[in-house]
Amino acid sequence: MGVPFKQIVVYLDGSESSMTAIMYGIKLAREHDAKLTAVYVVNTRALSELVKAGIFVAIERDEYQLDLQVDADRYLRHAQRLGHMKNVEIETVKLEGSVHVMMKDLLKSKSADLLVLGGITDIRSRREELASETDRMMRTAPCPVLVVRDDDDIWLEFET
Amino acid sequence: MNVLDVLNKDLVKVPLMHTDKQGIITELVEVLARAKGYSTQQFEQVLKAVLDRERLCSTAIGNGIAIPHAKTDVVDQVSLVIGISRFPVDFESLDEQKSKIFFLVVAPSSAASMHVELLASIARSCTSGVFRRMLEQAKDSEEVVRLFME
Repeated sequence: MGVPFKQIVVYLDGSESSMTAIMYGIKLAREHDAKLTAVYVVNTRALSELVKAGIFVAIERDEYQLDLQVDADRYLRHAQRLGHMKNVEIETVKLEGSVHVMMKDLLKSKSADLLVLGGITDIRSRREELASETDRMMRTAPCPVLVVRDDDDIWLEFET
Repeated sequence: MNVLDVLNKDLVKVPLMHTDKQGIITELVEVLARAKGYSTQQFEQVLKAVLDRERLCSTAIGNGIAIPHAKTDVVDQVSLVIGISRFPVDFESLDEQKSKIFFLVVAPSSAASMHVELLASIARSCTSGVFRRMLEQAKDSEEVVRLFME
């Protein structure tokens, strides 16, 4: 583990809070002169579960998989744009599979010394707490994890 | 995204009044349209999208649960309506069991990730037989919300 951080990874899932996380990641990377990687995992595991449960038919799964790929590309491009605004180079990575498993592997392969997450949900239900992908990611990450709370100031900073 | 992110007691109806598949879907879409203030045209577009999807294959997944869903840009965000019927409804389930618990999910095409996550969250929530029985027996929308919050 390097201190200050040298290899920062931000997980994106399209949520507003994950966008806040990438903004924090950009600021941290600039402060620490660290490499920054933005990752989106196309959750093919969830798609498979939906087919298995009978909620999706195969044609639907294929259609949604394409939609998820488009989502991933859009959010990763947006992350790169935000990086350019602050002169921070961002490597973007698109993966497919089970989110927390793919993230754990990526963090290891990159020898990441910090994972930045946005979307940790408040504990509202024990059932959901145990199933949340971001909560699982936080528990299984092989490196320190920074959880970013929603912050209007940082959005303003990137909007101006 | 999970059920709790979009759960709203104004989008829960207990009990549903209809006793047939088309009627149940229409009733669920009506609940959504009323809560969101949709026009008649928007209501009809959402209903058509859900019925079109239903024609591909029934969204009854067994164990008394059906999850009619559709992608439509009439809605601007992922939305969930929950309905509980006092009477078992023939939703053309593959296990031939009738359904009493209904989850209507509609989402814009730009929210594929959240749409998939919500559907997966519903499927996970309903794996427990005890939870399904409690949902079936819920007295009103407040109780349904409370059950998901536990």
